[in-house]
Amino acid sequence: MSCDESQEKAKTARDERRRSLPIFGGVAKPVEPPRVWRSLTERSRALPASAANEFPAGASELDGVSRRGFMQVLGVSTAIASLGAACQKPNEKIVPFVRRPEEMTPGNALHFATGYSLEGYTAGLLVESHEGHPTKIEGNPSHPDTLGSTTAFEQALILGLYDDDRAKQLRRGEKPIAWTTFLSETRTRCESLTASAGAGLRFLTGPTTSPLLADLRRRILSRFPRAKFVSYAPASGAGAVDGTKLAFGRPLLPRHRLTEASVILSLDADFLNDGPEQTRLSREFAGRREPGRDMNRLYVVEPSMTVTGMTADHRLRLRGGDVPAFAAALCAMVSARGVNGLGALGGLAQGPGSWDQKWLAAVAADLEKNRGRCLVIAGRRQPAVVHALAAALNAALGNVGQTVEYGAPLTTDANSGPEALRGLVEEIASGGIDTLVVTAENPVYGGPVDFKLAQLLKRVPNVVYRGLFEDETAAICNYFIPAAHPLESWGDGRSNDGVVTILQPLIDPLWGGKTEADVLATFLDEGHLGTHALLQKYWNSLSNLPASASGSFDAVWERWLADGVVPDTGAAVEAGVKLNAAGLAQAAGPLLAREGAARGNGLEVSFAVDPKVYDGRFANNAWLQELPHPVTKVTWDNSILISQATADRLGVETGDVLTVSYKERSVDGPAMIVPGHADDALTLPLGYGRERTGHIGKLVGFNAAAIRTSDAPWFDRGASVSVTGSKHRFAITQDHWTMSPDGRDIPPPAVAAPLSEFLKPDSKLHEDLEERRGPQPYIHKPVDYSKQQYKWAMAIDLNKCTGCSACVVACQSENNIPVVGKQNVWRGREMQWLRIDRYFSGSVSDPEVVNQPLACVQCETAPCEYVCPVNATVHSDEGLNEMVYNRCIGTRYCSNNCPYKVRRFNFLDYTGDISPAREMGMNPDVTVRARGVMEKCTYCVQRIERKRIETRIQGRTIAEGELLTACQQGCPTQAIVFGSLNDPNSKVSKLHGEERRYDLLHELATRPRTAYLARARNLNPDIKVD
Amino acid sequence: MAAPEPAILPRDPLEPIPLIEGAHTDRTINDSLFDHVWRGAGKGWWALFGCALTALGMLVVAISWTLYKGIGVWGNNIPVGWAFGIINFVWWIGIGHAGTLISAILLLFQQKWRTSINRFSEAMTLFAVICALLFPLLHTGRPWFAAYWLLPYPSVHRIWPQFKSPLTWDVFAVSTYFTVSLLFWFLGLVPDLAALRDSSKSRTKRFVYGIFALGWRGSGRHWAEYKWAYLLLAGISTPLVLSVHTIVSFDFAVSVLPGWHTSVFPPYFVAGAVFSGFAMVVTWMIPARLFLGLKHVVTIKHLENMAKIMLVTGMMVTYGYMMEHFIAWYSGNPYEFSQFFRARQHGPMAPIYWLMIFCNCVVPQLFWSKRARTNLLVLWFASILINVGMWCERFTIVITSLHRDFIPSKWENYSPTWVDFSLFIGTVGLFSTLFLLFLKFVPAVAVTEVKELRHELAHDPTAEPAGETH
Repeated sequence: MSCDESQEKAKTARDERRRSLPIFGGVAKPVEPPRVWRSLTERSRALPASAANEFPAGASELDGVSRRGFMQVLGVSTAIASLGAACQKPNEKIVPFVRRPEEMTPGNALHFATGYSLEGYTAGLLVESHEGHPTKIEGNPSHPDTLGSTTAFEQALILGLYDDDRAKQLRRGEKPIAWTTFLSETRTRCESLTASAGAGLRFLTGPTTSPLLADLRRRILSRFPRAKFVSYAPASGAGAVDGTKLAFGRPLLPRHRLTEASVILSLDADFLNDGPEQTRLSREFAGRREPGRDMNRLYVVEPSMTVTGMTADHRLRLRGGDVPAFAAALCAMVSARGVNGLGALGGLAQGPGSWDQKWLAAVAADLEKNRGRCLVIAGRRQPAVVHALAAALNAALGNVGQTVEYGAPLTTDANSGPEALRGLVEEIASGGIDTLVVTAENPVYGGPVDFKLAQLLKRVPNVVYRGLFEDETAAICNYFIPAAHPLESWGDGRSNDGVVTILQPLIDPLWGGKTEADVLATFLDEGHLGTHALLQKYWNSLSNLPASASGSFDAVWERWLADGVVPDTGAAVEAGVKLNAAGLAQAAGPLLAREGAARGNGLEVSFAVDPKVYDGRFANNAWLQELPHPVTKVTWDNSILISQATADRLGVETGDVLTVSYKERSVDGPAMIVPGHADDALTLPLGYGRERTGHIGKLVGFNAAAIRTSDAPWFDRGASVSVTGSKHRFAITQDHWTMSPDGRDIPPPAVAAPLSEFLKPDSKLHEDLEERRGPQPYIHKPVDYSKQQYKWAMAIDLNKCTGCSACVVACQSENNIPVVGKQNVWRGREMQWLRIDRYFSGSVSDPEVVNQPLACVQCETAPCEYVCPVNATVHSDEGLNEMVYNRCIGTRYCSNNCPYKVRRFNFLDYTGDISPAREMGMNPDVTVRARGVMEKCTYCVQRIERKRIETRIQGRTIAEGELLTACQQGCPTQAIVFGSLNDPNSKVSKLHGEERRYDLLHELATRPRTAYLARARNLNPDIKVD
Repeated sequence: MAAPEPAILPRDPLEPIPLIEGAHTDRTINDSLFDHVWRGAGKGWWALFGCALTALGMLVVAISWTLYKGIGVWGNNIPVGWAFGIINFVWWIGIGHAGTLISAILLLFQQKWRTSINRFSEAMTLFAVICALLFPLLHTGRPWFAAYWLLPYPSVHRIWPQFKSPLTWDVFAVSTYFTVSLLFWFLGLVPDLAALRDSSKSRTKRFVYGIFALGWRGSGRHWAEYKWAYLLLAGISTPLVLSVHTIVSFDFAVSVLPGWHTSVFPPYFVAGAVFSGFAMVVTWMIPARLFLGLKHVVTIKHLENMAKIMLVTGMMVTYGYMMEHFIAWYSGNPYEFSQFFRARQHGPMAPIYWLMIFCNCVVPQLFWSKRARTNLLVLWFASILINVGMWCERFTIVITSLHRDFIPSKWENYSPTWVDFSLFIGTVGLFSTLFLLFLKFVPAVAVTEVKELRHELAHDPTAEPAGETH
């Protein structure tokens, strides 16, 4: 009884909170100050935040002072202002994608095209919105760089939008102020700055391709000619552009095309999981992974295992600092094989390196054999000389125009790395800066440690900072402006190809955030206009609108918004790119020598962007924090990655806390031994150890940036390590590898074999695969599903899966899957319905990897069903293994009897205390599960039913390709295919009939509906694999 | 009243140990066996009762916390969906088996030595089953639904329990077992309750015992009906001894899990249950006969017989283990091989496995020796070790099997929480509380039956001499 009561009470409290944040069209309720506060400031802060939004846009143009007086008079009663206004549809007209109903139909989702910019490059997205709440993110199929898929980061944006920890209050010092106050104060400041032509005015922005921001910058600079803009992002570098400048004589941006590439060599480039092209490259890469003569071959040279490294056919582990020498040696080797055009570059090699010469020779031969059909990609961490050598190789091998194109750089600044910041730092140090406007992502946390930005910024009298969180930079700024989330913002941006996307908001800023354009416009006295007006004004004023933009501007604008891309804006391919081999050789010699000399000896310390929190900007995103790291499967942590041999030498075990000292600084972090890591090197992922952010990301992991200096932003030798003696316990979702002695008797669940085995018609492999599929004796007569309208099934191609984990987050978002926290991951209670099993095989130093996404395989004879005492898991006519949540009593017997262990149990009340804001982001089509209930993958049954309703109304059946599961839709490589086996022409039917197909645990006769396609490794016969 | 200490005469060492020691009349038996009821609670009883109540308090706290927060306060995870809850359930159910076996099967086989210990062990059965019954409900995620959704009641949902699930069979098996055990125990008590009523000094006691004595007057007709009813219930209980643990073993055997999916489970579970049940009876009986003055009716012979049964069932259990391992190897099933020869013997839970082997296979071998069988200290420690071993066996079956199954990526370790330990200790507290109350309010030995036995022994020329004949 007491339990019911407490549930009732919790429910009332939840309802109360829900009412206090009414959805679009809801009734406003008074907003009370927070019940708990730490200071009076905090208490009073809660009030004006909501009040500020009470007035329609434009009303706040009133004089700030009188408005403030107005506020004081009204006092607490002003708080009656609807916080609901914060959640209403944006006032400006936004246009839904594809379906354009006259009015919204409650219960039916709308899709809006927008975009998300990371490092300045914009990915086109399609956002599902229910009654004004965005709930799910997909890639925009019309966008050239996303092609309908997404990255894990993009999938997780939804959670970031509804993050209750986001900054909510604009303030001067500790004092909350209104936007209008900020506008008027900035206006006054601008007047005084005009006198000196803005000599003391500096802007620190993130790298951007936005035409609007570029225009605002131009106009600001014309008003304040002596002002300066600097852009910085912790993960940015100028390597690619500087490299092309060395190779071709002018700065160019490479664009890779893998469709034509038969042989790909990555020089420390995680191109399948990093960078603006990753989604498209993944798709193109996977398109050439069909086993056969046409299958591509991937070589990866890298220090620490990445997603690309796991996917490689041949992988060479090499310290980051040795990659330049490797590139030079490769040039020599390729040149020696008779490739013309490299000229003097052939002589750059500095003698044999630490790598296997045979490996190098084999790669060089393979590249040479595939002239015009190969590609060398250099990674962002590598210095310009490596990019230059890669460009030279591509040019000499005839790849330009085939697998790589060059175009003019798209970002406003050529360099957004530490070198760009150095000038600004010196200026601040010399005391000449009066006003610094920071719109870059948290530079105090992510900036080079030797710049001491935290102390330095205190010397600037006026620091204006716009950020999503009250973070490390917010702590020392004078004005803090809460940023609008990308899904709340108007804006524009360009993809790596130059295609423009107009970013439209899905929802009005929940907590009154401002866009970067809003902030910059205040320096033009246009801060009151709002980004929408600025954006429209800018695009309307363009004299050279794209050719397709005929008709009235309003109509054109609507089309742009609806499509998510502005046609004909792709950047031109630079013609006549010519390699200046002699010049490069001359320049590269000293550069290579410097790389070699500067690196010296000792342990290499190497920094990497994290596949989960990037540079720390996603640190407060619980989905990403709990996402198992693609390689280590660690959640809620970063770790010092180290090879087994080096760990043995140093006497280190996984979990030992190490002190890494580099130059005069040091940082403590737990070690993690990873197979395939380069010896004598440590990899420190960035983005953790945040001291100021929301409660999710605070003090998770250690801050690698504490030893990251401006002259060695990515790697350098000379680090030393000492073992502190304390132990750290990781929350790992997958402890056991096939290497583990415990599992040696068990046949590997993920099948991988050399391509030659697949091509041989009567190989042992085919026999093995044959044994792992087809009918299996079973005590009952199997149910005949062939008469059903649909027989749902899935096929997962292990040859295409890279392990990037976008599907895992997509599933989490689609299915309202809760986050359980580090303690519960420790206990083995993570909730993700879809997990990616990563299996190593071979040696610890040079392992082979297979990734196997595994969710419920929807057995036809499901072992979970017959053991449930209350019929809570039953079979549908179409073969789905269904969970009846409200019937489940939680015996967990089904999970015990599930041989795939894909069922997840709500051990605790994981969803009871989510914030009202977070509730708005839940998918209304999917039940939120209660405590004590089992759950699992449903093949996105809600999507099936939606589509069924839709097609039934139209009097037809669901066509192939019109129904995608969330994981399938998110997957950049299209490794996951879903459909009906009763349609013999469906893609899934064909894949189920493939030679490579096998069923997981086929011997148990569970008749799984999800089939796997074995992975083929396209091995080079000249390279010996142990 | 002062207890008439039954005189135990020195015995010829060559003479077989009798079932009742000393010279007795009905009166002396009455007096000596009712003594602990009438004596009133002594300091020792209160001390034990205090300990038991403390442990019971832990149980209350642990249950409340579990209901308030959810199963997450236990150590369970995925893949280890079942852990302490199910271990405790199976362990307690197993302990209950000695009672039924002694009462029913030994009665049908006319084993005279059962008489002095049947009441004691039946009570144990009952209380063990009560402890066990907590868990099936408590271990579910939503016990407030499990409480009635598992029963086939005419629901407006028109959904019945799923009869293919062994958990549904469990509901019937265990509830039947509990009901029959309760009836059997109570029926046996009726004549003694009447005797207590008749010898009560206070009105209240006479009234209360009178109610429970159901108007027993000891007429010939009463005795005749009583005997029949007792025999019938023994007949009904007999298959239950085999069926309950068989069905409990189905919870595991019916699944596909390596380490669970084994056809040897039903007999081996029953043998294990009897093994642990007798061990528990011995563990309690040795101190009880000392403190309650029952040495003359619960003789060394009784204890020795129980040791022999432990030896036999222990060997059966060992055979079960051998078969599991043999089949795992002989079948060529890689998952089973991995479970039995890697996970169990070398995995993180291996110490529990080896403790199980020691306690269940090695320790009972002591009982080949008569000296060990008749040495109270050896017997007592061995019985405790067997209880520990049987708990470890359930741990190995439930947790070790679950934590390493088919797909190595989802192998996880398991570690219990304070709630898990509190629940286990708490049920020991519940059991002890109920048992101490039982010892306080009803005779621990079936007085009527002992008197009957005395007469039988006295008049049966083939029987062993039971001291003085009248």
